[in-house]
Amino acid sequence: MALTISDAVIWQETADGVSLYHTETGAFSTLNETGSKIWMMVEQAGEREPIALSMSRAYARGNDAVSRRIVTEVNQFIGSMVENGMLLEEA
Amino acid sequence: MTRVVVLGGGLAGVLAAVALTRHADEVVVLETDHYPASPRPRRGLPQSHHNHVLVTGGIRALDRLLPGVVDDLLDAGAHRRNMPGDCLIFSGEGWFHRVRTEADLIACSRPLLDEVVRRHAGIEVVQGVTATGLTGDAGKVTGVHISAEIRRPGRGHAGRLAELRTTTGTPLSDLPQIARTGSVRADLVVDATGRRSQAPGWLAALGVSPVEEVSVPSGVSYATRLYEGPGDIPAVMVHPKYTPARGGTLFPIEGGRWIVTMTGDPPLDEAGFLAYARELRDPVIADLIAKAKPVGPIRPCHDTANRRRRFEDVTLPEGFLAVGDSVVTVNPVYSHGMSVAAMTAVRIAEEGPSQRAVAEVADRSWRMAVAAPRKGGDAKVGRAMLSSPGLAAELFHGQALIPAVRDHHAVFRAMVDDPVEPLTAEQAISQFAWAR
Ligand SMILES: Cc1cc2nc3c(=O)[nH]c(=O)nc-3n(C[C@H](O)[C@H](O)[C@H](O)COP(=O)(O)OP(=O)(O)OC[C@H]3O[C@@H](n4cnc5c(N)ncnc54)[C@H](O)[C@@H]3O)c2cc1C
Repeated sequence: MALTISDAVIWQETADGVSLYHTETGAFSTLNETGSKIWMMVEQAGEREPIALSMSRAYARGNDAVSRRIVTEVNQFIGSMVENGMLLEEA
Repeated sequence: MTRVVVLGGGLAGVLAAVALTRHADEVVVLETDHYPASPRPRRGLPQSHHNHVLVTGGIRALDRLLPGVVDDLLDAGAHRRNMPGDCLIFSGEGWFHRVRTEADLIACSRPLLDEVVRRHAGIEVVQGVTATGLTGDAGKVTGVHISAEIRRPGRGHAGRLAELRTTTGTPLSDLPQIARTGSVRADLVVDATGRRSQAPGWLAALGVSPVEEVSVPSGVSYATRLYEGPGDIPAVMVHPKYTPARGGTLFPIEGGRWIVTMTGDPPLDEAGFLAYARELRDPVIADLIAKAKPVGPIRPCHDTANRRRRFEDVTLPEGFLAVGDSVVTVNPVYSHGMSVAAMTAVRIAEEGPSQRAVAEVADRSWRMAVAAPRKGGDAKVGRAMLSSPGLAAELFHGQALIPAVRDHHAVFRAMVDDPVEPLTAEQAISQFAWAR
């Protein structure tokens, strides 16, 4: 599943995190630290699975339960970004 | 021979006549009033005592229709100001910085504007003739009934029929028929009789279905006074923030005068007017007029409702068109009516007469005037608008009836960057070469 940042989004990394502005809906938000990390990975990797994997590798420290939770949360976060039009996902 | 008869020699009528000379063999303009010998307010145009500014949409349209007319206006003493570059504006959000946009306004007295436009257009208007109804049927308008006195020979009226001339000064060829029937034949009748137009009733008398009229009260009254004052000052606007919607404006106009308007529920006595100006959110206008000499009385205007007559929604007879305030009048605080009239005339000149085109031009102004006030909005963007050229452009281009596009990068910067410190009144005033 290829992920791309919508052309309608203006964004920038700031001291507080990544700030996003959707030019069509007018929605603005600043992502927290984790959200910002995922956003930067989307920009570089552009795929759901590798992002979820690398987040779980970085934070689960081998704990399977934590790893599953991280994968679920990353997927939820990306899902919500796709839903609000900030990210586009193509099969 | 195609003939257009325009009813009303106000701005919309005169400009429609100019536009229609490109589409008809002859154009006749009938005006019930008499124009004064020099630019002065007149009975048929009671609003001409009040402040009338032309915004960029109207300025551009006027110059397109009558190239050079805007220079004539400025030569005659009108003042051009950029918004907000040459204006001192205290909006609900705060004081504007002097950023430049493409939105301008031209301020002069309404009588001067009308006179310069008429002179430049070089068209003859038949004065002292009142339209009283239409001839024809629900399928086709064939002419217009005119007031009886012009046909009645006798003392004071003898020979007045000969005054019926086209815009080029040619006497009408069918005077005997006009004398006999009391009506002037036309292939197209244009109603430009303004906000008190009787056209819906005239159409109904021909069997046309009722024209829907929507009225939305503005809730504000006007009080206007002229002062002697130098022209080298910005236009000054103090807008209301909350209800009661009390505001004030001061525009320099020709002849070393200022036209000062209080809006909301202003009193009409001297002391009350000054006190009202002083109690606005900032007393800058009160400070200016306290030192200036008033000219003439304080004049009220209560007829400020937004009114839209939906001529375009009924099956109109062939040979009829309504323009100007007859179609749409918006709360004067928007300063749109004359610009809408000019932009409509350009459409007519370029595309021919079309009620749909008239409605399209009217709609932008109408929607702006009757839109529910935007709730919330982002406070950071609102504040950034005071100093961001991109955000100010969107606002003022909209107000000036020119394309207003959202500068998304400016919105984003407003959200992300630290807000610019708001200007104090003293800082705002000192942007101009004058101190409180
Ligand atoms: C207080 C106030 C302030 C305003 N400020 C601004 C502003 O700042 N900027 C702006 O753009 N607009 C402003 N307007 C709106 C502006 O006045 C009108 O939009 C403008 O006058 C164009 O209208 P018009 O030519 O359609 O009608 P009018 O100017 O009213 O002209 C109608 C003409 O028709 C004539 N007439 C009427 N009945 C007949 C008849 N039966 N037969 C023959 N002739 C007839 C009248 O004598 C008159 O000359 C303001 C309005 C008001 C009330």
